[in-house]
Amino acid sequence: MRRFLPWLLVTIIIIIRLIYFYQGRPSYPDGTRLRITYRVTSEPIRYSSSQYLRLRGFKVYLPLFPEVNYGDRVIIEGRVDGEILKDPSLIGIKERGGNLYYLRKRLIAFYQKSLPNDHAALVAGMTLGSKANIGQDFWAVLKESGTAHVVVASGMNVTLIASFLTTFLVLVIPRRRAIFLAIVGIWLYALISGFDAPIVRAAVMGSVAFTAQVLGKVYNATRALFLSAFALLFIKTDWLYDLGFILSFVATLSLIIFVPKLQKVFKALPKGIRENLVTTLSAQIGVAPILYIAFGQFNVLSPLANILVLWTVVPVTIIGMISGIISLVTVPIGTLILWLSYPLTLWFISVVNVFG
Amino acid sequence: MAVTLWLAAISYPGRNLRVIACDVGQGDAFLVIRGKTEILVDGGPGNKVINCLNNYLPFWDREIEVIVLTHPQADHYSGLIEVFENYSVKYFLANALDSSSSNYSVLKSLVGGSQTVIINPTSSVSMRLDLIYLDILSPSSEFLADNSVTTYEQKDRRTKELYQTNNGVLGAYTSEQDPNQFSIVAMLSYGEFDALFTGDIDNKLSDDLAEIIKQKYNKPLEYIKVPHHGSKNGLSQSLLGSSNWKIGVISVGKNNSYGHPHQEVLKILGEKDIKILRTDEMGDVVIATDGKNLIIPEN
Repeated sequence: MRRFLPWLLVTIIIIIRLIYFYQGRPSYPDGTRLRITYRVTSEPIRYSSSQYLRLRGFKVYLPLFPEVNYGDRVIIEGRVDGEILKDPSLIGIKERGGNLYYLRKRLIAFYQKSLPNDHAALVAGMTLGSKANIGQDFWAVLKESGTAHVVVASGMNVTLIASFLTTFLVLVIPRRRAIFLAIVGIWLYALISGFDAPIVRAAVMGSVAFTAQVLGKVYNATRALFLSAFALLFIKTDWLYDLGFILSFVATLSLIIFVPKLQKVFKALPKGIRENLVTTLSAQIGVAPILYIAFGQFNVLSPLANILVLWTVVPVTIIGMISGIISLVTVPIGTLILWLSYPLTLWFISVVNVFG
Repeated sequence: MAVTLWLAAISYPGRNLRVIACDVGQGDAFLVIRGKTEILVDGGPGNKVINCLNNYLPFWDREIEVIVLTHPQADHYSGLIEVFENYSVKYFLANALDSSSSNYSVLKSLVGGSQTVIINPTSSVSMRLDLIYLDILSPSSEFLADNSVTTYEQKDRRTKELYQTNNGVLGAYTSEQDPNQFSIVAMLSYGEFDALFTGDIDNKLSDDLAEIIKQKYNKPLEYIKVPHHGSKNGLSQSLLGSSNWKIGVISVGKNNSYGHPHQEVLKILGEKDIKILRTDEMGDVVIATDGKNLIIPEN
């Protein structure tokens, strides 16, 4: 009984929070003219003739230019129509001046100037979670082939950063301090990459895992997952409707549950193929029904597409990060290193086009 | 595995000159490539032009030597915004004619913030790139002087200084005239191959152009971009009669609301036995030449 008491408490707190959230939410009848001043907290998606962003629960479609970026403070006026803000006009936009936002912009511009656009968008998506420059056609292909999750910087990036930082830092400073710095690093990355739900979820879980290590406690992934989900919902309750958040949560849960089981089933396969297959299938078990409900489509071949392309994600992310950092010092050398990723992204794009 | 992929990815562009009418829908975007030299005439509406550049440029070539913007209308410049974000551009040939559209302001500030050299060409200007020649045939400086109202007095000092020192600048004047009249018309030559890019000129300018061409070019010309997407107010009989044109390319969107290309225009092209190639029917229209022989796609 004592084991369940804290969970009971947490659940009650969340329920109270949800009730508070729904009652505190102002409702506007259709046709109301609204002026919203808001800091853009996730990256707008750019279509061929409009850019889409969510502001305080409203969907807003603005003209392509001026470009709105993650971190900008915008003033937008429009008319309420269901959950859409119709005829929106951008009255004011103030760019966020902070160093991290600047760094993000600079890296994306570097990718864009060094590679053809789909390739650049892929690298920017994998390393920084930037969806802004993915062309409409390419985005459709990614969705249809069931590989769109790759370009939404995911928890994997956080894991990558964390393991890179710890292996590197442990060499130079004591372990405890290294872990502390790694946690700081994870959160800096979460900020640079647009503070999207999947990243934040992974950052919370990563921080929990690291803290457990320092404190000498056993890390339980399931518990950490639920804890982070509760914590996030407490702070950002509207993420309850964020597909990225739901998918990230469900995918992680289904990895935790199914990976060990499927590992046994596919024992006979060679390690490289098995890892990819097992991870993909495990995630798909949980994610597929949700994708079907949300988009009304599910590609039966998507596990195959995933197996064929997923192996490129880690090398591309690493090349993207390293070349990006080097480009801050010298662009030509950064560009040369970035080009190493071209065959990989070419493979990715070609495969996805076959399936999409 | 990685090595094989690498080898497959590396390709070197051929020695032939290619003129590609990019399929950008209702608008213009023409890409000329030879080796590592690229010239882009207009960027079309939307951002489809980027796909065209992707398909024909090797991935490591991130520089476009020359971009010509014939005149500041959305179906000719919009795609250039994305182009300037993705490539570095050496020379930008464009009128100083301004457009009140906010998207054009985006383009202006993007070009202004880059290393690109702006040139405001008039009919006296000629350029050479590699083995490619580019002669500007229109607008004349007289036309510009008569039809432009400088607005730089109200604008920043830099725009004024640049314009007075004959440097290139964007958006220095406005005009009562239709922007189409300001279209930069250019003859591109490579060996014995010549291609005429006409922007959106009207019948009268087509007639004027015919005179200039008769005077200036005493040789067969091959390729004509049919003015104004095949509008009735574009190509004229005399322009077609100015030389022995072989190919007429029409850049036009499927089922566009303007009814382009006009039957009349198709008829006069047909009478002269000129091969009509249309982007709405064929997608990208690619012509290749070694300076002597032409490779023309079948439609």
